[in-house]
Amino acid sequence: MTTIMTADMTQMHAAVTAASQPASYLWLIPFLPLFGFLLNGLTGRKLKSTKIVDAIALGSVGISFLLTLYYFVQLLGLPAEGRSLHQSLWIWFDIGGAQVLGGLTTAKFEWAYKFDALSAAMALLVTGASFLIHLFSTGYMAEERNDGRYYRFMAYLNLFVFSMLNLVLGANILMMFLGWEGVGLCSYLLIGFYFEKEFAAVAGKKAFVTNRIGDFGFMIGFFLIFQVFGSLDYDTLMGSVREVANMPHITLYGHTASPTWWFNLIGCCLFVGAMGKSAQIPLYVWLPDAMAGPTPVSALIHAATMVTSGLYMIARMNFIYVNAPMALAVVLAFGSLTAFVAATMGLAQYDIKKVLAYSTVSQLGFMFMGMGAGAFGAGMFHVFTHAFFKASLFLGSGAVIAACHHEQDMRNMGGLRKYMPITFASMGFATLAINGIAPFSGFFSKDEILWKVFEGWYQHGHYTGPTLNLVAWILGMLGAFCTAFYMTRLIAMTFFGEYRGAGHDPHGLTVPSEAHGHDDHGHQDDHGPADHDQAHAQTAHAPAAPDDHASHGHGPAEVSWRMWLPVAILAGLAVVGGFLNYPESLHRIFPIVPADLFGKWIEPLLYQVAPVHHGEHTPPLIEYGLMIFANIWAGAAIFLAWWIYKVDPTWSRAKAFVARFPNLFRWVNAKYYVDEFYEAALIAPIKRFSAQLWSFDTWVVDGMVNGAARVTLIWAALMNWVDEYLVDGAVDLVEYIVQETSTVFRSLQTGRVQHYAFVMFIGFLVFAFWKFLA
Amino acid sequence: MEHLLETIGRNMFAIFGVMALGAAAFMVASKSAVHSVLGFLFAMLCIAGCFLALEAEFLGMAQILVYAGGIVVLFLFVVMLVEMTKFKEKAVFQLQSRYAVAAVLIGAAAFAGVFRKVIFGATSPEALVLRPELAKGLDVARQNAQAVSRGLFADYLLPFEILSVILLVALVGAVVLAKTERV
Amino acid sequence: MVSLNAVLLISFLLFSIGIIGVLIRRNALVILMCVELMLNAANLNFIAFARHSGSVSGQAFALLVMGFAAAEVAVGLALVVALYRKRDTVQVDDINLLKG
Repeated sequence: MTTIMTADMTQMHAAVTAASQPASYLWLIPFLPLFGFLLNGLTGRKLKSTKIVDAIALGSVGISFLLTLYYFVQLLGLPAEGRSLHQSLWIWFDIGGAQVLGGLTTAKFEWAYKFDALSAAMALLVTGASFLIHLFSTGYMAEERNDGRYYRFMAYLNLFVFSMLNLVLGANILMMFLGWEGVGLCSYLLIGFYFEKEFAAVAGKKAFVTNRIGDFGFMIGFFLIFQVFGSLDYDTLMGSVREVANMPHITLYGHTASPTWWFNLIGCCLFVGAMGKSAQIPLYVWLPDAMAGPTPVSALIHAATMVTSGLYMIARMNFIYVNAPMALAVVLAFGSLTAFVAATMGLAQYDIKKVLAYSTVSQLGFMFMGMGAGAFGAGMFHVFTHAFFKASLFLGSGAVIAACHHEQDMRNMGGLRKYMPITFASMGFATLAINGIAPFSGFFSKDEILWKVFEGWYQHGHYTGPTLNLVAWILGMLGAFCTAFYMTRLIAMTFFGEYRGAGHDPHGLTVPSEAHGHDDHGHQDDHGPADHDQAHAQTAHAPAAPDDHASHGHGPAEVSWRMWLPVAILAGLAVVGGFLNYPESLHRIFPIVPADLFGKWIEPLLYQVAPVHHGEHTPPLIEYGLMIFANIWAGAAIFLAWWIYKVDPTWSRAKAFVARFPNLFRWVNAKYYVDEFYEAALIAPIKRFSAQLWSFDTWVVDGMVNGAARVTLIWAALMNWVDEYLVDGAVDLVEYIVQETSTVFRSLQTGRVQHYAFVMFIGFLVFAFWKFLA
Repeated sequence: MEHLLETIGRNMFAIFGVMALGAAAFMVASKSAVHSVLGFLFAMLCIAGCFLALEAEFLGMAQILVYAGGIVVLFLFVVMLVEMTKFKEKAVFQLQSRYAVAAVLIGAAAFAGVFRKVIFGATSPEALVLRPELAKGLDVARQNAQAVSRGLFADYLLPFEILSVILLVALVGAVVLAKTERV
Repeated sequence: MVSLNAVLLISFLLFSIGIIGVLIRRNALVILMCVELMLNAANLNFIAFARHSGSVSGQAFALLVMGFAAAEVAVGLALVVALYRKRDTVQVDDINLLKG
């Protein structure tokens, strides 16, 4: 059976690749940023002007984006089933023969790229968002232009884009893994960009180590896939999954179980990887700390792209998950839990980036909920809408932070609406989107996910689905409520009321600034004389009013176009992006745009257990009900936050609440002490264990080593004596004999060629006679 | 007269051989380098004559071209380049000459003794032949140049090509060695 | 016809003269000529044996030897010229750097 299966696989593989069109410049999409990285990384220090660095970094990503767009358009022109372009560059490595389930296989891993519906959409997102964020960085990182590390930042960003594109465009899991590790590395480098600050270096390490835990699961997962399928190529896997799923049982490592059991195991292992990369409970802890990196990094890596790679991976591996109901349930459970818990953590944060960080964790939880409910399209769609609004919010927060002299505490902001209208408008719309207010994009994507989860329990009116779905739905709704609350709180605290940064603080709301601790670009004196930093003055510190100037340096002002333009573009996308996946049910009532564009776009890539019927079933009334309810629900949260933080400028209601439940607030503010729990339960024991190992090392191992050293010393002294008198004596004797003999033979060396020739001739004669006369 | 010519023709080889020996002896013995070169030239021409007498016409011509036309001229050039009068020749011969000549003569005598059967035994010449596929359409005995070239390019093509590389290397080497050093 | 004996005798004597010259002459140019002479003696043998075994290979080889001789002369003379430039002499026993 085994050999037959392998043969079938290869045939199927051939059939699938035949349907895929070759594309000869596909490799340029990921490699252009790599070239940018190499050029900037190797020569950036020497370049006279950072404008050249800008040109290289933006140019490479920009061209990459245009190329992606070109191939995207080409993809649009193909029939839905054949929407795939590929380019195989070279055989990466060849493992000769490997024993897998289907018998002995000769696996060759190609360095190949695949541009299909899913990777095309992701590549568009990655290159597009990256370009905007590169643009933003040229404004935000203005200060670094003078201290020689600007080129390093841009080079890292380019390297990140290369890795991320490898991740999404790779044609096999190994390529994805390459990108997966690459983005992890870049994340580490960029979080620790201000590595001279200890908290940044620690945060980078934390992100890296946490991700390694996840990567371990991911690796086991794809090792198992290779053992079961004998390949890591997506096309081959897709082609043979049905066959594998129908096998009676699978025996690996002496364990026999049903294919579903193995698929569950693989799915769970892969999900562990996704947990790490996409910051799910319990491995989410690195993401909030990752805010130590520069804000564009937070926007690019920790909101729009890298954290979604876990989602992308699960969507890619949907054929595994569809056959693994347990794994899907695990994904759903962890996703919904994360969505809710992280959202509550966001309620009590004061650091503007921390709020957004927990919001990201929570939104990622929503995406995983969608995946867990089997709605891969809905989950992926939320990836996109979230990328729009969250990147916009992050960049907006970056603009706010820059405008407020690198102040990150929202209590020290306020009233910025008047100073930075464009940023305010952009962030306002993005907030409405994330809150899930119709018709902004967040509503469509989040509502679709929640509906799919609910539908899993609802079962066409039978209410017979798994209870897990109901619980997940409730957690999701609570999470959505919290999201709307803390986002409105963020907007109210930041943009409304009076500006509290310039010492003007009638209600005693400000706290001692921690600005120098976080993301402060390493400059020490924000409120110093106006002339201390020209570059800064151009972007963030433009003077607002003369009297402000006199008393306190500068007030906030609108940032330069390089910064507000990306925010506005992303906000614009956040407003209209939802219509890309206009739900079928609404389409029946308001047919303004085609329904389900995104869902249909990636549908050919999704594995169908049974043939799909696009039956004309009327959407149940409850779907409309839930839509309306979701809007009211979010509206209530917004109103509540508004009432607490805007209507009452002294925030007395919030203070009263905190006074009434001090412990609850303390717990939420301290993020449920999860970090402390990890410290106490995992890190401290490991450290203690290491310390014990160390003392063992000191006393026992070192003792043995030292004892061995002493014995060696004594032995060596003995040997030294022997050496000096016996061995050296013998050597000297030989030398003496040689010297005496050589004086005799020296006289033969006359140095004259003909003497040598004569001797040679005599020798020849002797040889000839000995040979022929004997 | 005809009888004399016929005798000369029959003993061509012996005549050229003896002349070559004489020229060689003159070459080794003469004090002046120019005289030596002339002796060398004459010896080479005589050897070419021997080749002709052995019915190796092509090689005889090649011998004249290569030695008389090329190598001897080269020697003459160098003799002119190196001003022999500039350094005083202390002596023409080495101090060891006596021993060397004696050793060579003894060696030669012994050698001749050992191989007397080959050297003085009776043998008869045979007609040149080529492998049948190479000899096709060729009168091997009369068309010596074609016969040699067919043998050379069929069976010894690789040595021939290697020789060309060696010549190139020698050319480059000679240029490098003789080049004036620039400081 | 020419007997093999005669050819071998002549080439043998030529070779002897050549080797005597190599061993006793002090002038590097003459030494080189003597080497050539020895090579020619060998060529003569090649041809004689070719003639008497009926094979054309001997002649082909003689041709190759001629090529080698040409190469050898070119390098040898270049050495002589270089030597003369460096030491103002072509007397080989003035060169005894190898003396022990």
